[in-house]
Amino acid sequence: MATNMRGLTQFIADIRGARVRELEEKRINKEMANIRKRFKDGNLDGYQKKKYVAKVIFTYILGYKVDVGHMEAVNLISSPKYSEKQIGYLAVTLLMHENSDFLRLVVNSIRKDLNENNEIYNCLALHAIANVGGQEMAEALSEDVHRLLISPTSHSFVRKKAALTLLRLYRKHPEVIPAAEWALRIVAIMDDMDLGVVICVTSLVMALAQDHLDAYAVCYQKAVDRLRRLVIEHEYAATYAYYKVPSPWLQVKLLRLLQYYPPTEDATLKNILHEVLQTIMNNCSEPSRNVQHNNAQHAVLFEAIGLAIHLDTNSPLVTTAAVLLARFISSKETNVRYLGLDTMAHLAARTENLDAIKHHQGTIILSLRDKDISVRRRALDLLYSMCDVDNSELIVGELLRYLKVADYGLREEMVLKIAILTERYASTYKWYVDTILELISAAGDHVGDEVWYRVVQIVTNTEDLQPYAAKVVFEYLKSPSSHESLVKVGGYILGEYGHLIANEPGYSPMELFAVLHSKSQFCTAPTRALLLSTYVKWVNVFPEIKEQLLNVFERYRHVLDVDLQQRACEFYALASRADDDELLQNICEEIPPFPPRESALLNRLNKKHSDTEDKRTWVHGGKDINLDRQLSRRGSRKPTLGDVNGNGTIHHGADAANDITQSLMGLDLTTSPTSTSQSPTTHLDPVSAPASMLAEAGIPRLTVSPNVERWFEKLCYSSEGVLYEDVQLQIGIKSRYHGHIGQLAVYFGNKVSAPLTSFTTTLHVEEPEAISASFAKIAPSTIAPRTQTQQLIHIECKKPFSKPPILSVSFLAGAHQTIAIRLPVVITKFLEHVKLGQADFFERWKLIGGPPRESQSVFPISLNDAGHIDLPKQRQVVSGHSFNVLEGIDPNPNNLVGAGILHMSVDGKVGCLMRLEPNREAKLCRLTIRSTSEDVAAEVQKLLHKPLSADTAHT
Amino acid sequence: MIHAVLIFNTSGVPRLTKFYTPLQQSAENLTQKIFSLISSRSATLCNFLDAPELESFLNQKDADGEKLRVVYRNYATLYFVFVVDAAESELGILDLIQVFVESLDRAFENVCELDLVFHFDEVHHILSEIIQGGLVLETNVEEIDHAVQTAAKARKESFASANPLSLGGGGVGSRSSGLQTPLGWLTGRLTGVGAR
Repeated sequence: MATNMRGLTQFIADIRGARVRELEEKRINKEMANIRKRFKDGNLDGYQKKKYVAKVIFTYILGYKVDVGHMEAVNLISSPKYSEKQIGYLAVTLLMHENSDFLRLVVNSIRKDLNENNEIYNCLALHAIANVGGQEMAEALSEDVHRLLISPTSHSFVRKKAALTLLRLYRKHPEVIPAAEWALRIVAIMDDMDLGVVICVTSLVMALAQDHLDAYAVCYQKAVDRLRRLVIEHEYAATYAYYKVPSPWLQVKLLRLLQYYPPTEDATLKNILHEVLQTIMNNCSEPSRNVQHNNAQHAVLFEAIGLAIHLDTNSPLVTTAAVLLARFISSKETNVRYLGLDTMAHLAARTENLDAIKHHQGTIILSLRDKDISVRRRALDLLYSMCDVDNSELIVGELLRYLKVADYGLREEMVLKIAILTERYASTYKWYVDTILELISAAGDHVGDEVWYRVVQIVTNTEDLQPYAAKVVFEYLKSPSSHESLVKVGGYILGEYGHLIANEPGYSPMELFAVLHSKSQFCTAPTRALLLSTYVKWVNVFPEIKEQLLNVFERYRHVLDVDLQQRACEFYALASRADDDELLQNICEEIPPFPPRESALLNRLNKKHSDTEDKRTWVHGGKDINLDRQLSRRGSRKPTLGDVNGNGTIHHGADAANDITQSLMGLDLTTSPTSTSQSPTTHLDPVSAPASMLAEAGIPRLTVSPNVERWFEKLCYSSEGVLYEDVQLQIGIKSRYHGHIGQLAVYFGNKVSAPLTSFTTTLHVEEPEAISASFAKIAPSTIAPRTQTQQLIHIECKKPFSKPPILSVSFLAGAHQTIAIRLPVVITKFLEHVKLGQADFFERWKLIGGPPRESQSVFPISLNDAGHIDLPKQRQVVSGHSFNVLEGIDPNPNNLVGAGILHMSVDGKVGCLMRLEPNREAKLCRLTIRSTSEDVAAEVQKLLHKPLSADTAHT
Repeated sequence: MIHAVLIFNTSGVPRLTKFYTPLQQSAENLTQKIFSLISSRSATLCNFLDAPELESFLNQKDADGEKLRVVYRNYATLYFVFVVDAAESELGILDLIQVFVESLDRAFENVCELDLVFHFDEVHHILSEIIQGGLVLETNVEEIDHAVQTAAKARKESFASANPLSLGGGGVGSRSSGLQTPLGWLTGRLTGVGAR
């Protein structure tokens, strides 16, 4: 402790005793000189070094610049004494930043401390990396940090720090962290018993998941489950209750994490989430006296409302939330008002129906005049988000009125927002022009160039607007003091469209010229240049004032500014040509409409987001903007050809190629290869694709072994049995099917004498449009030694499919293990028996006809010991695949004939007939499937063929 | 993410400055700026302040609509100020400030401004048990206290041999052990109870 160094205490006391700043500086300079000398002389022992470095740190904290002690701090780090090491690390984290050259010198000491058996040393090292770690440390140390995070022997306080340190390294240098491959292992820690560890790991997962949504998809169910345990089951260590609220930090983090994912489709998770959110909202209905308790509860509540809005803006939860928010925005507590407005802006930015919010429009507008600027800002954001065609005139009017009294810091943003709203929700052109010109004249200095560019663009592209705009802008210019931006707009519009109004009284060319030119002397050179261009346009349309205009050019020919002078000379020459000369006319041709382009205003407002920082889950503005944003986020996650057409949106390869060729030739190219724009994930094969790609897409790698295949095959034609077994885990299945619906009971048995922790089950469906599979509830995260747990899976068959769902199971038993196997859910499971007579059968058989609706194969079969065909086995396979074996249809008793109807919820029912003809002498067998659907015939043939054939069957 | 943790007293003297993002300008300017923003706000205003003015100080890349917010809390003579971005919950940070103060209070037994002056290293150690690299490490006061005690013990063990002048002691809470520090002029208590 600092005070145990007598010299340091004296130093601090001296500085405190200094009555004026000069004395303080003198004392510090003296001390620094002394320290510099001591360091130069060298030969200091650890205690002295520590003392001097501590003095340097204290000086630094007082706000003085220090330039000594870095080297000594580096030395202290490798000291074997903890007290010296600690001061060394403190100095490194305070005095150095991530690009400091000194850090190179400490990498090795830090690594040594990371690998030390002493956890306190580990912590110091981790903490240092988390504070100053840059690219170099990321490359050198990320493996060590990761090891500390996942090692089963690490203490929880080490793992907490390791998680955050890893996060820091990822932010600084994402390339060194194989985020996708580590995904399952890291997410598994979210099941940890220690909530402190869970908080830290959730922060880490949140950052990684934003860039690797699919790879980290498992965290969704983990987060939901943890919320359920905290909020509903009240399952947490008592010390983690903060003023009676279960770990508000963790709750907020989890609720935020869920907002980075698209709303879940899984009915089970949806129900749990609904219950959790409902409970959180109910908890807040009775406000308590304690400030801290209230704070914590509201922190959770606001995040929960955010999530409810994200999940579904039409749900009853959001209706409840809207009522709560309405109460908050008129609360007496400023904090609550502030957050109420903020969250309401979120709601306004996402919802389709603004009525609930519009109800409180009056209150919100009043908030613009709140005594607190923070609240005023939030009110502005909310008004911006809730504006639509109906209330735009009112809101923009209010904003304009407020603009004149608003804080300076707020004005520029307000101007942009007003300009955008005016443009987006203009009901009449007249209103648009009036408002925007009033804006320009009122806000003056705060109007960015984008605003008046945009006005010009819109007026140019809207013919009806031109005469009116010209008149109004002229009226504004008449007022004695007009802002320069207004002069620019005026110069441009009057130059282009002045002739449209010149015949009306009060707008004669002479008057236009007089008013505009009177402003010229107050303007900067670029504006004057613009006015010169206006004049040359007038020379063309107003011959009556040509003389005055020539006069102006004449005078400007001698100004110092190069641009002005050049323009004046050129315009003078142009204007002095003979009257019948066509050159001037051609040059002053009316400008064509601008090509439609994205508003520069929005670009300015929504600047690009940085790479590994936490992203916002929504932006201010209407729901369209948020939708666009989500799409572009998805698009930009996998960079394709990138920013080809220059306006910031990323197109997939084929689209971009299309854009270019179209703009070049204006031809309709209908044969462009659109298939290339398909998402790459659909082509990944879970057996052979590279591990990193699989991990990135969140597809589990299938566990392969002869046994796995045998178990799977057997279960394809039987309803219960073992699906997987190894020394630790056994998975058994019982199944039941009815029509297109199936139910699977999966039994997980722990065979060892230690618990399996962080037990996670997920389902992966490769053809989600054809088959769906979901768990009835979230699996318990622990399986006690030598016990079994059961999970129900609901399955629905929508269309013919060929890839059974994959069940992936991961757990911690010492190390982290993952098993991924296909569930024995194949298309024949959805066949139902049908009874057909001989005549009926053959009639249908013929009706269906040959290929492609017939699928046939001939394959070798093995005979049993007695040299006979294994008829019972064949019969078992065929009836196991749910065919009704029809007797007495085929004259040959060895042949098998069957029929079934396939039930699918989307594609309806499909009939399916089969015939199996074994031949003992040739040891061959012919299998014929006929079905009204080609896909079904081929798939069923494949399924039946496999267990029957001698080449492929696993006996 | 938390970009900075600052403590200064009601006259604007910094007592703790910790930045988790490299600064673009001098730390003194920043604290002065924040102090001038905050000290002018009356007690009934909210604890949050949008701070677009501060973005030039911190190396903040222009994220979309990403605004820094200042969350602060006033305890007796001290302001506790956190500069955070939009990824943090404002009320959550307010809670965290409370946790920080409660942890300080535990370590120093009725913490006061002078403790922060004379035990600046200890304050940094406590902070490092709560926030690491701009992210929340632990919010449980028990856990924080435990970690601080463990470190203090380790320091104490290594201390006696390191300091020839040591009078022994050196654990947390033994601030007056054998030393005459001018504790007489305590400026005021800042324990959590009266906090706004």
